[in-house]
Amino acid sequence: MNPSSNSGGGTAGPSSGGGGLRLGGGPGAGGSGGVSGSSVGGGSRSWASTTSVSTSGKRIQREMAELNMDPPPHCSAGPKGDNLYHWVATLLGPHGTPYDGGIFFLDITFPSNYPFKPPKVVFKTRMYHCNVDSAGNVSLDILKDNWSPALTISKVLIALVSIFTTPDAYKPLVPGIAQLYLTDRDKHNELAAEWTARFAR
Amino acid sequence: MFKRNNVTARIFHRQICTPAPGTSISSARRFYENIVPCHTIYDVDCPDHSFRKFTEDGLYLISFSRNHQEVIVYRPTWLSFSCKGECSDTHTLPPKAKKFESFFTQLYSVTLASSGELICKDFFLYMESNQFGLFATSTTSIQGAPAVGDAVQGVPSVEKITFHLLRLEDGVVLDEKVFCNDYVNLAHSMGVFMYDDLLAVVSLRYQRIHILQIRDSGNLVDVRTIGDFCHEDDELFLHSSVQSMVDTEKSKLHQGPVNHASNGLHHSQPATETRFLSGLKQRLLSFIFQGIWNEESDPSLRMQCLKKKFYFHFQDYVDLIIWKVQFLDRHHLLIKFGSVDGGVSRNADSHPAFFAVYNMETTDIVAFYQNSSEELCTLFERFCDHFHVSGKSSLYMRYISTHSNNIHALEQMKSNKTKASSGSQVGAMQNAMSNQWYCFVSFDGLMVIQWICCPLLQFVKKMLSSLPFSCQSQSPSPYFDQSLFRYDEKLISATDRHRQFTDHPIKFILRRQPNILKFKIKPGPEAGNTDNRTKKFCLFLFHPFLPLALSIQQTVYLQPAVVNIHFRR
Repeated sequence: MNPSSNSGGGTAGPSSGGGGLRLGGGPGAGGSGGVSGSSVGGGSRSWASTTSVSTSGKRIQREMAELNMDPPPHCSAGPKGDNLYHWVATLLGPHGTPYDGGIFFLDITFPSNYPFKPPKVVFKTRMYHCNVDSAGNVSLDILKDNWSPALTISKVLIALVSIFTTPDAYKPLVPGIAQLYLTDRDKHNELAAEWTARFAR
Repeated sequence: MFKRNNVTARIFHRQICTPAPGTSISSARRFYENIVPCHTIYDVDCPDHSFRKFTEDGLYLISFSRNHQEVIVYRPTWLSFSCKGECSDTHTLPPKAKKFESFFTQLYSVTLASSGELICKDFFLYMESNQFGLFATSTTSIQGAPAVGDAVQGVPSVEKITFHLLRLEDGVVLDEKVFCNDYVNLAHSMGVFMYDDLLAVVSLRYQRIHILQIRDSGNLVDVRTIGDFCHEDDELFLHSSVQSMVDTEKSKLHQGPVNHASNGLHHSQPATETRFLSGLKQRLLSFIFQGIWNEESDPSLRMQCLKKKFYFHFQDYVDLIIWKVQFLDRHHLLIKFGSVDGGVSRNADSHPAFFAVYNMETTDIVAFYQNSSEELCTLFERFCDHFHVSGKSSLYMRYISTHSNNIHALEQMKSNKTKASSGSQVGAMQNAMSNQWYCFVSFDGLMVIQWICCPLLQFVKKMLSSLPFSCQSQSPSPYFDQSLFRYDEKLISATDRHRQFTDHPIKFILRRQPNILKFKIKPGPEAGNTDNRTKKFCLFLFHPFLPLALSIQQTVYLQPAVVNIHFRR
């Protein structure tokens, strides 16, 4: 440990271990063990004004910057207050779906070991959808078994918006709605539109 | 219009001249300049009740018994007496006439409160068209009650609040409406607003606005409840469609081939763990969201804007509670939102607050302002009478002086505004240093520094702190008409409030030439108070159209009040 310009004191996350490895390198895609330990560090500390930003925090910050640069359509998201791990997202019901005109709010909670575990997503607005249950929980395969650390918040938002246009009726949370969706699409859409008008405006 | 102040000359003038179109009432009201309650009977011998108010049509005087169990209703009558011989002296009344009973006839007394309950003496609303009175009784409130179920933490709880609808003609209780383990702010009728036959009752504890209708038959009917849901049948709709979902599921189960792996996994989970936004909050948040979304067209900039203005404050918006509500018309409500601390505490002005206009038919939020909004303040300055409503039926509200219908009130307001925006900088600085409560951070994250730099903001907040109006809190008496009389608004005003006692008589001075003193109202005993240590309060009850007023001086302790009757003899 060379007595470098590390004025912030011995902070928790970014130990000055391996050195060398600069930012922006490859932490995202690979997702192997090496990322967690030494992705940050080095002498420069160009953006290290925040003293104890862990790897997950930095990852979330970077995803936030990406999201702000290039937000996907029909949605937006941002941290609640100053808590980086607790976000709110807003989805706008796309035209041509029974959810048109609806504004849906969601809570997104990032685990402390993000991106190795998926964020938890809960709808705060009621909706009539076979993949969203009566408590607002959403079943989305990329948020469960198919989660990969390569995915980002933008991708999650895109996936969430896509359930408006294409509900997954074969892996439903509410089989009743899924059945209606498969057997009587008009009735399903009528009900979904009514729910949107009542609860999601 | 009238060239002379002599009442005979004025009557002659009225005979020969027609007033300009539309001014007949206001010219008739000028006769009040001649007919004033200039005579006082001090410390009149009267029943030991707490007198509440005259109804707006002047037909009833409402009072409550000292033990807060009964309502006693009087009919104001004009002084009449008979006497022998000594009547020739026109300057003094005979002792027999100097009684409360010479002015008021008791109609009846009704016991409203049962055991453990007290009548809330600060609460009374009058429905003029049907001569119905609304009273409230309640058990004592429990501070720091645990928030059970949907209740908001930090709001006290009252075991039972009952609203009684009384036919004032004969004192028959027509209907009752009970709120259990709830909290409605009854002080100065703040938590209830009456508009024509509609009532809005704010349940602070459960954050619901109950809209009730008073039917001509004397029934209190639930129209809708705004809060968790917006439409009156939302809950029914939700339950029926959830029911059908469960039903199809069950039938499916019986049929056999079901994907068991994913079926009903989360379905039986109670919804309490993650609560949905309430119906009203959903409307509010989506209104704010859409406002910011539409403001900016560039996606990236829009995102920045949302992050700063919306998501950062999201939890603050979610935590807002309904403080107070008034009707603007039959469909629109003006709702004041604020933090939990400000909803219950007396000095709510130092907390950030928001106003929303809500259309309960379309269930849309129409507008949303912070309590520092200059736009809302300008609207309020110009169109005060649109906020000051109580329904189509009551004409008396038209004659209550406000800064939008009265030039003198407007001038007063403007001078306050100039004072606020120019001279008070040093004062504000001193205040900021001495008063701690100046140092709060508003939702915008703008520190108190802004108060010092911009005293206008302070003025805006002060102006808007009177919104939403308390229902029926203004006396329609012509003696408070600022185009007729000038008086010290710190000591007396049309607003129905207890005031700090002053030993000096309150002067009413003619607004027009010759600007002379017309009459004085002096509360308390004639000789003044011998005991100056105890704190005293005054309440003034003016009859809506007769030259008759009561001034009631009270102490904080339970000594009997000193009641003076002011009238014209």
